[in-house]
Amino acid sequence: MSTEQAASPAAGAVTSTSDDMIIVEHIDKWFGDFQALDDVSLTIREHEIVVVLGPSGSGKSTFIRCLNRLEEHDSGRIFVDGIELNDDVRNLNAIRSEVGMVFQQFNLFPHLSVMSNITLGPQKVRRMSRRDAEKLAMQLLERVGIPEQAQKYPAQLSGGQQQRVAIARALAMQPKIMLFDEPTSALDPEMIKEVLDVMRELAESGMTMIVVTHEMGFAREVADRLVFFDEGAVVEQGTPTHFFENPQEERTKLFLSQIL
Amino acid sequence: MTNEFPAPDPVPGPVAPLRARRVVLPPARQRAARPRSVRAREWIRQNLVPSPAGVLLTLVSLSVLIAVLGVAAWFTFSYANWRVVTDNRWLLFAGGFPHDGEWRLWVAFGFVFTLVGASYGMWSSLGRRDVLFMVPAGLFAVFMLAHGDAALWSTLWFLISAALLAVAYAAFRRIPREHGPTRTLAVRALGPVLALSVPIVFLVLMAGGGADSDELSGYLLNLLLAPAGIVGGLFVGIPLAIGRASRLRTISWTCTVYIETVRGAPLIGWLFVALFILGDIIGGDLIVRTMVVLAVFTGAYMAEYIRGGLQALPRGQYEAGHAVGLPYWRTLQLIILPQALRISIPPIVGQAISLWKDTALISIILPLRELIGSSRSAIAQGEFITNRIEIYVFAALMFWIIAFIMSRVSQRIERSLGVGQR
Repeated sequence: MSTEQAASPAAGAVTSTSDDMIIVEHIDKWFGDFQALDDVSLTIREHEIVVVLGPSGSGKSTFIRCLNRLEEHDSGRIFVDGIELNDDVRNLNAIRSEVGMVFQQFNLFPHLSVMSNITLGPQKVRRMSRRDAEKLAMQLLERVGIPEQAQKYPAQLSGGQQQRVAIARALAMQPKIMLFDEPTSALDPEMIKEVLDVMRELAESGMTMIVVTHEMGFAREVADRLVFFDEGAVVEQGTPTHFFENPQEERTKLFLSQIL
Repeated sequence: MTNEFPAPDPVPGPVAPLRARRVVLPPARQRAARPRSVRAREWIRQNLVPSPAGVLLTLVSLSVLIAVLGVAAWFTFSYANWRVVTDNRWLLFAGGFPHDGEWRLWVAFGFVFTLVGASYGMWSSLGRRDVLFMVPAGLFAVFMLAHGDAALWSTLWFLISAALLAVAYAAFRRIPREHGPTRTLAVRALGPVLALSVPIVFLVLMAGGGADSDELSGYLLNLLLAPAGIVGGLFVGIPLAIGRASRLRTISWTCTVYIETVRGAPLIGWLFVALFILGDIIGGDLIVRTMVVLAVFTGAYMAEYIRGGLQALPRGQYEAGHAVGLPYWRTLQLIILPQALRISIPPIVGQAISLWKDTALISIILPLRELIGSSRSAIAQGEFITNRIEIYVFAALMFWIIAFIMSRVSQRIERSLGVGQR
C-alpha cells in the first residue's frame, strides 16, 4: 500500500494522506566500487521508533545519512513527509529543517556557546526572534536536564552533556523526525545512560525516531521495530520480541550471538 | 624572554581541568601567597643556574648579551650623530606631505587611535604591558611629528588622539562579552569601519585639496600600503580559499592557477607588473596600482593559510550545519569560516608581518619613496653623507616597532579566541 502511494506522485511534493513518514524505495549507494546500500526499501510510520542494527560496514549509517541527504543515493527514491529527496534544493532545505540529526561525534559548534549552538538553527533558518529562540533553547535544555550549562562552551562539557546539547540543538528546529547515528558510541559507559534516558523520554513523547545503535537494552525496550542490516541490505526486520526471541535468518542469529 | 603569564606553580591540589582553560586563567592571587624572596630565588635557580652546564650557558649568553648591549649603547650615545634623523624627521615620516595639511595627518592619527581603542575594548583588554609600550611609543611619535613652531600643537593633538583612544576603549569595554543584541550591534558598527579604514584614511589625507598621491611618501606610505595589502589580501584570500576547496572543478582549478602563479614569482616581479604592465594597460594612480598588486600577492598566500584552516575542520562541522537546515553558504559563513580563520591566525599574521617589511622593496623599483627611499634622500643631502648607518638603524627600528606590535596583537587574538583549545 505504501508503494502505491509513493509511486503515484511524479512531481515530488505530495501531501501524504496516510501516516507514512518516510518511504524508501529501492535505493542503491556506491562509494567508488564498494556498494554500501543494495536495493534497500523501508517504510516508517509516524511516531514509530525504528532501531537499525548491523555489524560495522553494513550500511546502517549510510542509510540514515541518506534520509537527510548527507549522502546522496545513486538510484531509487526517498520520500520524507511526502517530499521527495532529489536535486531540488528547496526540497532539501525543507526536509532538513524537518529532520533532526544527532551524530556519533556530537559535532557541536565549538566556537559557539551552548545557547548559540541551539538558537542558531531557529534564528537563521526558521527566522525566529532571538528572544523566542533563547526561550525555546532554555526549555529544551531543561528537557535534556542541563539548563545550567547554557552559557558554557562545548569543550567545557562532558561527552554526555555535549550529546544532550546536540539533541537539544536538533529538537530546536522542531523536527518531525529524529535521526540518531550511534549517539552513544563515543561516550564513556557512565554517560551512556543519561543520553539514553533523554532518547527514551523523546520516544515516549511520540517523536518519529530512527536510531542506529548497539545498545540492545534500549532497542529491546523502546523500539517498535528492529531492522537488521548486513552488506548493505535489509536482512530481517520485526518487533523486538520477534527479533530477540525468534530470529529467522542465519546472519541475524550470528550477529545476535556475537553481540548479546 | 619573559612570559605574559608565568606558568602556574606546581602546587598540589585540585588542578583545573584542561577543558576549562578557555575562561579560567590562572589567578594571580594564587601566586601572591608565597613571599617574594622565595619566588625570586626559585626563579633564579630554575631559569639561570639549573645545573653546571646551565651555569656555563648562562655565563656565555650573559656575556654575549652584555657585549651586544654595550656596542648598542656605545653606538647610540657616543658614536652616532642622530641629527640626521632629527633634522629630517618630517622627511622621514611624511616625506613630501604638504606642511599646511598637517591637520589631516592628525585627523587620520586620531581616527586610527580611536579604532585601536575600540578594538581593544571590544575584543581584548589593555594590560599594564600594553600601556608601558604605548606611552613611550606615543611620546616618540610626538617627537617625530613635532615640527618647529608647531611642537605645542602637535603635542596637544597627540594628547587628543590618546584621549580618543581611551574614550573609545572605555566605551567599547562596557559592551558585554557574551553574545547579545548590544554586542552584535557593536560588531556590525565597528567591523565595516575597520575593514574600510584604509580607504577612509586615504580620503582624510587626500580629499578636497589635500595631498596629491605623489606627495605621499616616507613612513606614512609604508603605513598606508601595508594595511591595504593585508586587508585587501584577506578579501582576496578568503574567496580564493573557498574556491580552491570547491567541488566544482572549474572553480577550484581557476583558484589553484591563480594561487600558484602568484606564489611562483617574487614580489619584486609583481611590483614591476604594477609599474609597467598595469600602467600601460589600465593606467591610474601608481599607489593604487601598488596596493592592488600587494593585495593580489598577499591574497594568494592568505588563501593557502585559510585553506589549511578549512581542511583542519572535521567534516562533521559541515554536516552538522546542514543537518540544522543551514544552506551551504550559510554554513560556510556561520560555522566554517569563523573556525577556519581562527586556526589560520598565526600564519596570517606571519604573512602580514612579512608584507609589512616587504613594503621596503617599493623604493627599490618604483618611483615611490617609502621610509627607505626617504632615508636615502636624507643622506643624499650631502650634509649627512657619512651618517648612513644611523639612518638605516633608525629605519630598521621603525619597521621593528610595527612588526612587534603585530606579533603582540596576534598573540592576544590567539589567546582571546582560544586557538588550539578545542
